[in-house]
Amino acid sequence: MPLDNVVFWVFAPISVASAIGMLLMRNAVHAALFLVVNLFTIAVMFLLLDAPFLFAVQIIVYAGAIMVLFLFVIMLLGVDRGDPTNEPLVGQRSIAVILAVGFVLEVTFALRAGIGFATKAPPGFDRVNLGGNTQALAKVLFRDYFFPFEVTSVLLIVAAVAAMVLAQRRAKAITQAEIEAHRDDFAHIRDAPAGGLEGGPHLDPEALR
Amino acid sequence: MVGAFETSGAVADPTQAMRLLWLVPVLPLAGAAINLFIGRRLGKAAGWLATVLVGTAFVIAAIAVRDLIAVPAEARVYVLHLFDWIQVGAFRVNVDLRLDALSATMILVVTGIGALIHLYAIGYMDGDPRFGRFFAYLNLFVFFMLMLVLGNNLLVLYLGWEGVGLCSYLLIGFWFEKTENANAAKKAFVTTRVGDTAMLVGLALIVAKFGTLDYDVIFGSAGSTLTKGVATAIALLLFAGAVGKSAQVPLHVWLPDAMAGPTPVSALIHAATMVTAGVYLVVRMHPIFELSGIALVVVAVTGLVTSIYAGTCALGQDDIKRVLAYSTISQLGFMFLAAGLRAYAAAMFFLVAHAFYKALLFLGAGSVMHGTHETTDLKLMGGLWRRMPITATTFVIGAFALAGVPPLAGFFAKDVVLEIAETGEHWVAYVLGTFAALLSALYIGRVVFLAFFGAPRSERAEQAHEAPPVMWVPLAVLAFGAAFGGIVSTDADGRLAQLLESVVGGVPEAIGGLTTPLFFVIALGMTALGLGTAWFVYGSGRVDWLALRVRLAPLQRLFANGWYIDEYYATVLVAPGKAAAAFTAYRFDVGFVDGIVNGIGGVVRRLADVGRRLQTGFVRSYAAAFFVGVVAVLVYVGFRL
Amino acid sequence: MRTPIAYFLVLSGVLFAIGSVGVLIRKNALLIFMSVELQLNAVNLALIAFSRMHADLTGQVLAFFSMVVAAAEVVVGLAIIVSVYRRRQTVNVDDARELRW
Repeated sequence: MPLDNVVFWVFAPISVASAIGMLLMRNAVHAALFLVVNLFTIAVMFLLLDAPFLFAVQIIVYAGAIMVLFLFVIMLLGVDRGDPTNEPLVGQRSIAVILAVGFVLEVTFALRAGIGFATKAPPGFDRVNLGGNTQALAKVLFRDYFFPFEVTSVLLIVAAVAAMVLAQRRAKAITQAEIEAHRDDFAHIRDAPAGGLEGGPHLDPEALR
Repeated sequence: MVGAFETSGAVADPTQAMRLLWLVPVLPLAGAAINLFIGRRLGKAAGWLATVLVGTAFVIAAIAVRDLIAVPAEARVYVLHLFDWIQVGAFRVNVDLRLDALSATMILVVTGIGALIHLYAIGYMDGDPRFGRFFAYLNLFVFFMLMLVLGNNLLVLYLGWEGVGLCSYLLIGFWFEKTENANAAKKAFVTTRVGDTAMLVGLALIVAKFGTLDYDVIFGSAGSTLTKGVATAIALLLFAGAVGKSAQVPLHVWLPDAMAGPTPVSALIHAATMVTAGVYLVVRMHPIFELSGIALVVVAVTGLVTSIYAGTCALGQDDIKRVLAYSTISQLGFMFLAAGLRAYAAAMFFLVAHAFYKALLFLGAGSVMHGTHETTDLKLMGGLWRRMPITATTFVIGAFALAGVPPLAGFFAKDVVLEIAETGEHWVAYVLGTFAALLSALYIGRVVFLAFFGAPRSERAEQAHEAPPVMWVPLAVLAFGAAFGGIVSTDADGRLAQLLESVVGGVPEAIGGLTTPLFFVIALGMTALGLGTAWFVYGSGRVDWLALRVRLAPLQRLFANGWYIDEYYATVLVAPGKAAAAFTAYRFDVGFVDGIVNGIGGVVRRLADVGRRLQTGFVRSYAAAFFVGVVAVLVYVGFRL
Repeated sequence: MRTPIAYFLVLSGVLFAIGSVGVLIRKNALLIFMSVELQLNAVNLALIAFSRMHADLTGQVLAFFSMVVAAAEVVVGLAIIVSVYRRRQTVNVDDARELRW
């Protein structure tokens, strides 16, 4: 059996399982760790698809930086304990599952109609990866997509500044209890009776003698 | 705009007075406008202004008529074009004034008697808070009446027709603070409206057939354009309008109640002028009536029935003005009888004579009321002859004219009509007409003897006083006219008949049957019988008429209540009408229409109530909706591929 | 390589669906955010797969940029969540439902 098949069929189930695991965990930290596993498996998929540079970047940036950042915030805010198990919205879970299943089915059918399940990747990727994937990628990036590259740099700076501004300590905290207390401040408008104005012009039967 | 005057018709060389014919209606109109705006500041001068304007109109009219008579008979028509009014495609209506023998007669009556009544009203309405407005309305009425009779086409006539109806409403309900006066005004307007609507349909029919409303065109081509059926339809529709305006059965119910208005109003509008508009209409449109023979029969029968009916009702009334009101209805019936027998000149002569003596009688009644502190009940009068001699004398003259005492005008008027009834071999009409004449002598004799003779039956009658000169001068003038008007016509060859021949053709000649002296005797006999009986029962003191009245109570009540026609209308017409109105106002409008409107609002509200639940506030719900949309779009794209 | 490209794309679809379910079901804002990251990764996988299929590096470049932007987005998003937590003492998205009927 070819190697890439084996790798694929090993890591794909792990990927799905870890995603579902992230979905089901009550504890936020556990969920984050499952997501890390998932990111790893995706990185392996990248490798299978002849993108070694991105395999590395995925692990470094996503699994290494972004998820660590997530874990930091979870720990900082202390919200690692339970998501309540009840579902206040009626039918939300059913809709979510139905839609997800429907989406997967759609994708499958679209693929079958489009490229078909038998299509293998064309062999000539070496030609594209001339001089190695990193060098080829660098060529494309700094030549054809130079402007987006610069714009993205600016974007990163903006994001950093924004984060600093947003995270400043400013407003006084308000508790959920206070929010609940003011919930009915506009009840007289919200709960106005359905009848509308009082009647119409009042006609007096006596006046029509 | 009163600018370039075009004249047509047969008068070759119109005189200055004829060219100033437009002043005749315009002067009263100006008076109405002036009094309407500054009447209050003028005070008593408002009344004098109104009177002088109508008087001047009379003078101009008189000169114009004199000039008209000077023209040979074949050419006695003068049309004065004032301005173009309506021009829609081929349909044109101009405001033109037509001076011919018929309209000449009418304008003299309207302005002449109108002026006298204006003079009388200055005294009668003295002290009334709305003095100026009264004269504005009176002048406005004279204007509309003149337009009615002077119009050269049916639309100007209709304009005047509606206008006098409006003024009648305004004047009957002049003292509108009392509800019954306002109700009487409403009743008059609504009842005449029934007739007016039929008349409007008739006008529409005429337009449909002739394409125009001009007299000359209609009369010129009536024979060739109309079939007998259509002519009958038109004639009957127009006659319906006349029935309403002239208070004939069955649209007569408004006139007795209209006595709620001031007495000058009753005299002018409900005796001399407005109610005669119906007679004028029939005489004016007689070519169409003659094309359809049956319409004339309807006119005559209506007139006859009304005449007798109203005569009986007049016998049963205790209110002096109501007697005169029913008397007017009865006398108008007589005029319609004459018209129905094709004796148009006789009908017109009767109209003129009646205008004089009925106005006189009404003004006299007003004088009586004025002098006895507003008493109208005959039972409470008596012996007024000594206390108000001028009023009494003029009233008696008028009464004799009505009863048909020769040589007063009334006698000749009645005589001519009856004669013509006989000559056409309409024996039934003759007999019934004679009976009606007897009734008229009876009821007016009753009034005279109860009011003026005998001993006073109440304190007010004892302390009665005579009217001021501004009131009895018109009485005297009218009495003069009533007495000596007979010289205008004595028989078929009379002056008025000759004058009107240019318009209405010749009067049927007497043929065979009873000779003229016999008519004379029969008519005189009826008058004497009526007056004599009245004197015997009411004046001589030999009969206890109060006991008689009690004994004949059911009959008296029947007459007094107008044979209960008002009550009949109330049940059959008014009550269902009010029920329908109440239904429409309360059940339909409030329930159904408002229900729909409110219902739509309610539906919107309920939809909104349901719809707003979409705004749950939960981000996740919105996310779910979002995702549903994504999936749906993908399905759509997938299927397209 | 023997694995048909379609398999990668199906995997991508499945991961995306799971991420969507996570967005809809979870109430903790941070967990929702993590589900969004999962979705983004699924899309990256699809991009790389297509890039391999068409032998064009554009897909890889796009995935690269996607990662960068995702990083920036996470930074700002987490800053917002921290800010909201400081005000409301909660990260439960269901607690922010005042804007309702």
